[in-house]
Amino acid sequence: MEAKKTALAEIVGAGSVFDEPDILCEYSRDASFAKPMKPILVVKVKDVHEVQKIVKWANETGTPLVPVSSGPPHHRGDTVPSVPGAVIVDLSGMKKILGIDAKQRVVHVEPGVTYSELSEALEKEGLCIPTALAPRKNKSVLASCLDIEPRTNPRYQWFYPEPLRGMEVVWGDGVRLFTGSGGMGPMDLEKQWKEGNRQTGATGPQNVDFIRILTQSQGTTGIVTWAALRCHILPKIHKLYFAAAATPAGLEDFVYRILHFRFGDELMIMNSAYLASLMGEDASQITSLRGQLPPWVAMVGITGRKILPEKKVETQELDIADIAQQFGLKLVPAVPGVSGNQALKKISSPCGDRYWKETYKGAYQDIFFVTTLDRTSKFIDSMRALAEADGYPVSDMGVYIQPQHQGTSVMLEFNLPYDASNPAETAKMKEFFRSASAELSRQGAFYSRPHGIWAPLQLNKDARNYDVLKKMKKIFDPNGIMNPGKLSI
Amino acid sequence: MKLSPEIYKEFEEIVGPRYISQDPGVLETYRCMPAQSSAHYGPYWDHMTPTPMAVILPGCTEEVQGIVRLCNKYKIKFKAGGSFWGAMAYIGSDYSIQLDMRRMRKIEIDVKNQLAIIDPYVNGAMLQSEAMKYGFSCNIPGVGCSSSIVASASGWGGVGPSTVCSGGHKENLCALEWVLPNGELLRTGTAGSGDGWFCGEGPGPSTRAFLTASMGVCGEMGVVTKMAMRLYPWPGPAVLPSTGTVPAYKAALPDNFRCYTVCFPSWDMWAKALTMCYDSDLVYLGHRQFNMFGRDLKGAMIRILTDPDKQLCDLEELLSDPEVKRQTEEMKLEFQIVLAGYTKRDMELKEAILQEILKECDAWLSSMMLEPDIENWALLYLIRLGHKNLNYVMCGSYEGNFGLNPNLWVSASYMEEAAAFKKQWEDTHTSIVKNGGDSEMGSFSFTGGGGAVGWEFFVDFDAYDKDSVTGACDFIDETEKWMAERHLGGDMGRSNKYLRQPNGYDWPQEKHNELFSKVPQPHVFAYQWKVREAINPNLLGGSYYRTLDPEMIPENKR
Repeated sequence: MEAKKTALAEIVGAGSVFDEPDILCEYSRDASFAKPMKPILVVKVKDVHEVQKIVKWANETGTPLVPVSSGPPHHRGDTVPSVPGAVIVDLSGMKKILGIDAKQRVVHVEPGVTYSELSEALEKEGLCIPTALAPRKNKSVLASCLDIEPRTNPRYQWFYPEPLRGMEVVWGDGVRLFTGSGGMGPMDLEKQWKEGNRQTGATGPQNVDFIRILTQSQGTTGIVTWAALRCHILPKIHKLYFAAAATPAGLEDFVYRILHFRFGDELMIMNSAYLASLMGEDASQITSLRGQLPPWVAMVGITGRKILPEKKVETQELDIADIAQQFGLKLVPAVPGVSGNQALKKISSPCGDRYWKETYKGAYQDIFFVTTLDRTSKFIDSMRALAEADGYPVSDMGVYIQPQHQGTSVMLEFNLPYDASNPAETAKMKEFFRSASAELSRQGAFYSRPHGIWAPLQLNKDARNYDVLKKMKKIFDPNGIMNPGKLSI
Repeated sequence: MKLSPEIYKEFEEIVGPRYISQDPGVLETYRCMPAQSSAHYGPYWDHMTPTPMAVILPGCTEEVQGIVRLCNKYKIKFKAGGSFWGAMAYIGSDYSIQLDMRRMRKIEIDVKNQLAIIDPYVNGAMLQSEAMKYGFSCNIPGVGCSSSIVASASGWGGVGPSTVCSGGHKENLCALEWVLPNGELLRTGTAGSGDGWFCGEGPGPSTRAFLTASMGVCGEMGVVTKMAMRLYPWPGPAVLPSTGTVPAYKAALPDNFRCYTVCFPSWDMWAKALTMCYDSDLVYLGHRQFNMFGRDLKGAMIRILTDPDKQLCDLEELLSDPEVKRQTEEMKLEFQIVLAGYTKRDMELKEAILQEILKECDAWLSSMMLEPDIENWALLYLIRLGHKNLNYVMCGSYEGNFGLNPNLWVSASYMEEAAAFKKQWEDTHTSIVKNGGDSEMGSFSFTGGGGAVGWEFFVDFDAYDKDSVTGACDFIDETEKWMAERHLGGDMGRSNKYLRQPNGYDWPQEKHNELFSKVPQPHVFAYQWKVREAINPNLLGGSYYRTLDPEMIPENKR
């Protein structure tokens, strides 16, 4: 252990290697049900050269590496070591925004850059990027994009890993590479920029699509040290409207039609429990809001950007209201308890010091997977039945339906708050989480981001894909040092 | 070279005697001339791609799998072709067979989830016609509507005029079914777990990574047998109302469709207008299309092509017509856009945005292109992209070159210089068509919503005239040097030079090693070698798949 500490100190400096028990303890567990496992060391890295040296060293010594970019608390188990002897590679200190090109609508970020830091910098240039729903304050933008957390504006999700473009990666075998269009130029950003290449091409650069070996990989194939992200023009006018219904099925045709015409920007469906959790400042306010809010709402954002912003917003307000009316719904700027402006602010901004999903009961578990909008009602009914059978309070269960990829699929998320300080409740939740995940999988839930127990559930459904994934892992991480144990590969 | 009777019989048992042939007359039709257009590595005189040992037409996935397994058993190289537009569809070595996918042509539309699940022979025209019945259209790449969608999605770029609004094939791709080159059957995403065709990503990293990168795998890594593609809205009639006589087919569409040719005083304004189109989600289609006839000829050519009574021999007369001259000059720097309104208000908004762009960019609309017959011709041309025969109309063949830089602002700044360079060659050589230097054309964007671009200059030549072929080749060599001097990347007309030899055969690995060991990031090609080793262990593809033996990576880059 001491030898490893010394070797790492030579790479990153003694002040950036940590083995204090309390620090190791922080990285040994998260808010998921992942089995706690202490790493042997934590190293905080400053640049790609340190990362590359560490990966090469790990290959030589057979040391497992677990990359971490966001601050705590983590929730999906992917940053908790699955094997003994692991070293945490903490990238949260790599906080540079390397460049913003307003003309090419692209920004380059290191892994430690958070949504709030990035939004502030982009706003000065009149730009913004699509965000995941109300991310944690210290959530790494890059980690969020690599895990393909769904963006709230499906209309602009042209391809699945939007807004990712080119990246720099150190693969598990220690090779450093630019992905996408940057992969054909010199491995020097400044030089490429000088020649006008802003890494706007996400795929390739040739026959292998490197970006897709990194996305949803939970750090099992390589460590990304910067990514180019596609930006949008910052709206001059931004409004959010609601359409309410008694059931999710009552909103389905409306949402399909909006998706079909690609109207609006943000588009999502939530039940009252989910929206109340998002909006409420404390448990009592959440409870109160649940009582006021309609059972289900679809939320539609409308923006006016550079050209004729007022006319654009007015046109879409009228057109979307007409569509709502066609399906017996009413488009309104507020529902009891929440206005569009309030909801928009919550949806599109990083939350405060405490993650909003923890407000109601202190802890939560999410079950999320990909399906199609027309199948969501069936899954929701099943989940209700499962909750009732298990004794979990159905009224606490939040449901969030986020259309993706311009509407070809949705992410369906069940949010399950519980009191983690109560051991009996925690044990019950653990079992419910396991059994519900398995049952939903049996019914056709597709865990595209297979965290924790979902990996075997999903991967075991398709032996051929699993086999090719293992071959992929062997190519890019031949010694199996990158986050071993994750994804079951 | 021929298959042995025993091996032939084994293939025959898979598809039946009707769907396999080694008749020399049939085999000859599955060869490609490197003197022909758009091979992107020539043109080269007097060569053909190799003759396949047999041509096989599989009818289903199981048959494809059986064929590929047999190829592995006997180490026979194979290549599947859909529409056979480009040289990449054809085999590159003697001990090879050609698969023609024309029997696999099913289309299934998932209306709610905006998806089409298609077989490999389905082309843009087939899918668009079917999708329009349900209020959808599909991305049709620049290659045209007769091209197989599966081929351009898995084997090439898959982008075109609609991409800015529809997304490119690779963006639209959901799940797919793929017979790997080792004969195993892989279904990606939700198709693999039997949950449907709506998502092709994951679980975890996506195995489609080995198939659908920026240039695809050019048919060198197995056979894709099914794909789910995202569609995009079509607010028009269920059937395109085409009328007219060849080549002047046109479509009169409802008032919620307009086709405009927007003209500019400078390339700066041209580029600014393009980004304004991106930022306002304005266009249904965006392309600089008709400039492929050349800056000096396009007005006259459009007159000829939209009037069934006119022919190429009328060109001289039209060029001397003062009104045609004025109209041609009016649209010297221009692009075409199609606006489509999903509602009446939406159309009004789009028209108003266009007016703002015209005002901001000192731009104007071409009056000639607003004549109803011409606008309706341009609408059909751009929406269906079925007039690709006109690419050849000048003198039988063409090659796209330059390509410039994917950054719009960089490429726009070089456009006039590139045009002048070409014009100088036209003035001093007779090998290529003299059309005013600027014959640059291309789509608004390679990605949905706008972004990377790629502008090609049409170089028209005669594929049956040796001097013209070699002269066109010389010119492309010169433009490649011109591009390199300006750090603009490789010339598009030579983008395949590492992929097939001038004689039509695959390059040997040694040549790839020599070339790819010198690139700035050789590991790109070394990883591709490793991927090939993993799923194509018998090396049954050709040199369109670009690899570098990892042992050949220079020491200073390891």
